[in-house]
Amino acid sequence: MSTFTIPVVVPGAKACGLSRRARLTISRLAVLVALAGAWQLLYISTLLPEVAPDLVQIVLALFTVLTTSSFWIAVGQTLFGAFAGWGIAAAVGIVLGVAIGTSGFLSRSVEVVVEFGRAFPMLALMPVVVLVIGVNARMEVLMVFLSCLWPILIQSIAGSRRQDQAVADTVAVFRISPFRKFWKVTIPSAMPLISTGLRISASISILVSIGVGVLSQTPGLGRQITMAQEASRWDLAFAYIIFAGLVGWALNSAIAAAETKALRWNRQEA
Amino acid sequence: MSAFRKLLEKSWLVVALVLLWWFASASSTNVFFPPLSVILETLVRDLSSGLLLEYLAFSLTNLGLGLLFAIIIGIGLGLLIGEIRPLRDALDPYVSFARSIPQAALVPLIIGTFGLGPGPKIYTIAFACVFPILLNTIDGVRGIEPTIRRFGKVYRITPARYFRRVVLPGALPQIFAGIRVALPIGITVMVVSELYAANKGVGFYILNSSSTFQMAQTWAGAILVGVVGYFITLIFFRIERLPLRWYFKSGAMAQ
Repeated sequence: MSTFTIPVVVPGAKACGLSRRARLTISRLAVLVALAGAWQLLYISTLLPEVAPDLVQIVLALFTVLTTSSFWIAVGQTLFGAFAGWGIAAAVGIVLGVAIGTSGFLSRSVEVVVEFGRAFPMLALMPVVVLVIGVNARMEVLMVFLSCLWPILIQSIAGSRRQDQAVADTVAVFRISPFRKFWKVTIPSAMPLISTGLRISASISILVSIGVGVLSQTPGLGRQITMAQEASRWDLAFAYIIFAGLVGWALNSAIAAAETKALRWNRQEA
Repeated sequence: MSAFRKLLEKSWLVVALVLLWWFASASSTNVFFPPLSVILETLVRDLSSGLLLEYLAFSLTNLGLGLLFAIIIGIGLGLLIGEIRPLRDALDPYVSFARSIPQAALVPLIIGTFGLGPGPKIYTIAFACVFPILLNTIDGVRGIEPTIRRFGKVYRITPARYFRRVVLPGALPQIFAGIRVALPIGITVMVVSELYAANKGVGFYILNSSSTFQMAQTWAGAILVGVVGYFITLIFFRIERLPLRWYFKSGAMAQ
């Protein structure tokens, strides 16, 4: 009755026949073919809305988009808005967060405000911001900043509050000066949490910068997608969305790689 | 520390900020920054007239249904993908790609094409929320202790039972962590989907008032969204503790 097997992974075991790598590649390609086939079937069965492109059109659009300069400019504008807002939020968030986190009184005081800031969907304020400073890159940077600040702030506060009792005792016994303690103990022990905050807010920055583009038509990928949709060019919209995903994915991997490198000392296990 | 002092420490800044806003804006004649008293008056007026309540109900229903779909699909797929290794290997690049798509990018496509009704909004919210839940479920399943799995095998329990009694509870803490991540994303996408195009909802209230320069209403709507978002998060943190009581008790939290 039980044909159910629980996968048990034996480290270093060599599979017979094809190498593991080859089988992996084949299975991944098979998924791609299955996805493409499913789309094409849906297209032929006319279950998709009329404007939906077929497979060939999507693939063609992927290449056409890459050769247009407007695409590269849009990517640049979106990345600029995201990076600028994220960078300012990082500077402000880390400085404020560490300052607040090293004081127990301050960190208890700001708790509710910071939690509220995190839960607040900042894009809801966008109509006001647009009316006050207009539809431009500055507005986009401000929106990204407002959205990215909170995760960085929260993680910085939590990171600089966290202290190992043994380390605290050692600092006291050796009478290490507060200045030295700050740079050699507080900051390094806060780094892992801060970098998590930076990573979380990096993906938020792309989301918000594209969201702002979609809503207010600031130049960038968000606007290109909206324009493609309005022109009933789903193939172009698809291509833009796929590349937006690739940009996000590249950013995530880059940050993960940087994090692993910078925090190697903290990763004794695994 | 006495409970009263704790409460005081936690609340003084909030009170101070609200008072600061109240008095700093009290005599404001700037169109964009109306006095807080006017904003709150507008908020109470539109809430008691039922208009804003109806909009809020519409928005929150969309959020709830979108989240529900995301939870069902995310947990279901996550349990399967996490448990079946070949499936996980094959799907891994696609899952990490799909989660990288900025959720807001889909708003024009889905809502622009399928219209203003609640359906497209629910799909967008569900799509945005499904990935954190899916990824966390996969991680949770993978994190289950091998000994516990082997026990399941030794006792030859049926697959259905194995999933329900071993895999699901084992992954539950991670699953809840995923829902916690999904929640603010869902709220953001809910607002964005309504700011993009709608004829109902809190986002519509904000957009409509700002385009007619009713700034007090715009602020009132934004405050309402913020407060509601904050309380949803708080309530979720409370609820989360119920099914995870065993987990928090076991002291597995690194706090």
